[in-house]
Amino acid sequence: MARPPLTIPPEVRSRLKRLALRTRRDMGDRGFGMHASRNKGSGIEFAQYRAYEPGDEPRRIDWKLFARSDRFFVREAEEESPIAVWVLLDASASMAQADRARPDWSRMDAAKLLALCVAELAMMQGDRFGWIGLRDGGLVVADPHRGRAQFERMQIEFSRLEPAGAFADAATLAPLWERIGAHDLVLFLSDCFDEAGIALIERLAKAGREVLAVQMLTAEERDFPFDGGYRFIDPESGADLIGDGKALRQTFLDRFAAARAALGERLDAAGIRHTAYVLGDPIDRPLHAFFGRGALPA
Amino acid sequence: MTPLLLAPLGLAALAALIVPLLVHLRRRTEDVPLDFAAMRWLEALPRPKQRLRFDEWLLLAVRLLLVALLALLLARPAVLGWDDDSPRVLVAPGVDPAAARAAAGAEAEAYWIAPGFPAITSAPPKGPIALSSLIRQFDAELPQGAPLTILVPPVLDGVDARRLDLTRKVTWRTIAAAPGAPAEPPVPAPTLAVRYAGTEAPLRYFRAAAAAWGATEKFTAEAGDSLPPRDAVLVWLRPGPVPASVTHWVEEGGTALLASTSQLAMPAASGPLWADAAGSALVEGGPLGAGRVLRFTRPLEPAAMPDLLDPGFAAALRDLVSSPAPPPAHVAAAAAAPASTAAPYPLPPRELTAWLAVLIALAFLAERLLASRRARFAA
Repeated sequence: MARPPLTIPPEVRSRLKRLALRTRRDMGDRGFGMHASRNKGSGIEFAQYRAYEPGDEPRRIDWKLFARSDRFFVREAEEESPIAVWVLLDASASMAQADRARPDWSRMDAAKLLALCVAELAMMQGDRFGWIGLRDGGLVVADPHRGRAQFERMQIEFSRLEPAGAFADAATLAPLWERIGAHDLVLFLSDCFDEAGIALIERLAKAGREVLAVQMLTAEERDFPFDGGYRFIDPESGADLIGDGKALRQTFLDRFAAARAALGERLDAAGIRHTAYVLGDPIDRPLHAFFGRGALPA
Repeated sequence: MTPLLLAPLGLAALAALIVPLLVHLRRRTEDVPLDFAAMRWLEALPRPKQRLRFDEWLLLAVRLLLVALLALLLARPAVLGWDDDSPRVLVAPGVDPAAARAAAGAEAEAYWIAPGFPAITSAPPKGPIALSSLIRQFDAELPQGAPLTILVPPVLDGVDARRLDLTRKVTWRTIAAAPGAPAEPPVPAPTLAVRYAGTEAPLRYFRAAAAAWGATEKFTAEAGDSLPPRDAVLVWLRPGPVPASVTHWVEEGGTALLASTSQLAMPAASGPLWADAAGSALVEGGPLGAGRVLRFTRPLEPAAMPDLLDPGFAAALRDLVSSPAPPPAHVAAAAAAPASTAAPYPLPPRELTAWLAVLIALAFLAERLLASRRARFAA
C-alpha cells in the first residue's frame, strides 16, 4: 500500500528559493526566518559532535571525549527556535477524492506535496517544522525539528498516511493544543468541507496562532463537468444521491460558490489567511499566494 | 406500371426493426457511482424523465434500412405493366444464320426457336424441336405490344397437327435454308426370322413377302426355337405353348408374330390390328413389356385366310410388323403462316428480387464499413 515517497519536482524547488516563510508579526523577538548565522550551541538539546576547528571556543570542547579519544571534539546543540511551522493535514476520507482525468492524483497527494514544499522552505531557512495528520482514529503527530532528517521522515510517514474515516472529533484533537506553541505558524491543508476543521482553525487563530488555510479542491468540484446519470457518494457519510449531471450542474455551481464565499468571509473574520488550490494547478501556487511578492506561477 | 407485393405477409418481418433500435438504445438506467465529497451542495432533484436516446444515429439508420429491405425482400415486391416492348425476331432452326442476321437487322433481339430461346449469336440448335409449341410459348410470354417477326426456312420441320394461332399479328418471312441440310435415309425393311415345326407350308407366304420388300437375303427360317437378334421380327409358327424365353425376348423390346396354333395369354391391351374386307380380325395383338406381340386369328391357309394370296399381303404385313411411323411434321412454310385470333394471356408481374438483392448487398456493405471503422473503437 505504501507508495514511493513523494519528491518535489525540480522546477518547483527552484521556484521555492524565491520564497521565505514569514509571519504577520514578521521577524519576531528572537528572529524567525533566515538567520544570519547558522551558529549552534546555545540550546540544551544535543545535536551532534564535530571535529574541533581553529577558532572554536575552548570551553565548548568536550573534554571527557578528549580523555577517551585523545581528539578534540566540539559538542553542538540544537538551536532552539521560538517559532515552529506546523502542517495540519486533513486525512479524512474526502481527501482521497481525485479527478477522473487523473485518478492516481488525489487531493491528499497534492496536500502531502504542498506540505513537503513548506518543509523544504522551513528547512532552507533553518526553522523547525512538524506535522499532524488529522483523522478520527487518532492523530499522527511529529514534533517539530530542523534539518534534512526531519524532512526525510516526513516523506516516509506521508507515504504511509492514507486518508480514511471522518474528520477527527474534539477528544482526538485535544493533544494538538499541547503541541502547537503560542506563536507557531500553522498551515491547514484540507478540503474545508468539515465544520469541525473550520472550528479548529478558528480556535487556533483566536488563541494567537498564525493560521494559513489552503482549501484543496478537485477540478470536478470547480467545473462540475458531468453529463449523464451518476450516483454521487459522500465518501465520509456514505450517503448517496442519484442525478443527472447536466441537470444538477447550475444549482451546484451556484451553491458551491456561495458556500466558498461564506467560508472565505468566516476565515477573514477569524483573521485566517486563506487560498484555494485546485488539482492541476502548480503545487507551490498557494505558497506564492501567501509569501510571494510577484505573480503567481501559472 | 403498378407496384405490388406478391407476399404482403412478409412485411410482418418489419417487426424486426425493433432489434437495431434496442441495440442502439442508450442505457440510461445505469448510474455511474462516483465519490463526491462536496455532495452536500448538490440539490436532490426529482429523477430526470427517461427519454429515449439513441447512440450512433448514422449506423442505426443504415441498420434500420437493412432490416426494412430484408423484410421487403420477403414480401416479394413486383411491378405490373413494366414491360419491354422492343421488337423481337425468332429464327427457326434450319435457317442460314448469316441470312437471318441480315434479315433481322443489326440491333434487333433475335433468338433461335429452341428450348430457352438462345440468342442468334450462339450455335444453331440441334436435334428435333417442337417448333409450334415453342412459338406459342414465346408468343404467350411476350408483352402484348411487342412486335414479333419469325424467320422460317421454306420447309418447316417439327410442327404439330394444329395450325399456329397466335395472340398478335406476326411478320412471317421465309428465308433461304442453311446449305447442306441432310436428306433423311429411307426406312429399311423389317427382317423376318421364322421359327417353325414339322410342315413348312406357311413359310412361303413370308418368304414371298420378304422378297416383295427386297429383303430376301435377310430372311431366315429355322426349324428350331433359337431366338433371332432384337431388331428382327420373330415369326413363331410352332404350335403349342410359347416358351418363356420367347416371352422374355418380347418383353425386352422384340416384336413377335405368332401363328394361331401357338398358345399364349395375350396382353390385356391387345386388340384387332388387321381386318379383312369383311371386317373380321385377321391379326390381333398389343404391347407386351417393351415389345409387341401379334397373333394370327386364323390358320395360315388360303382356305381359311384368303388374304394370304392377296397382292396387298406384303404391304399389309410390313405395316403390321414395322414400328409405327412418326406423325407428319413437315409443312411448307408459306402454308403454315400463323393466324392471330387467339386471346392474349395476362402476363405475370415482374419481380424485383434481383434489384432488391443488390440494394441489400450495398446496404450491408455500408453497415459493415460504418460498424468497423477505426474511430468507433478509439474511445
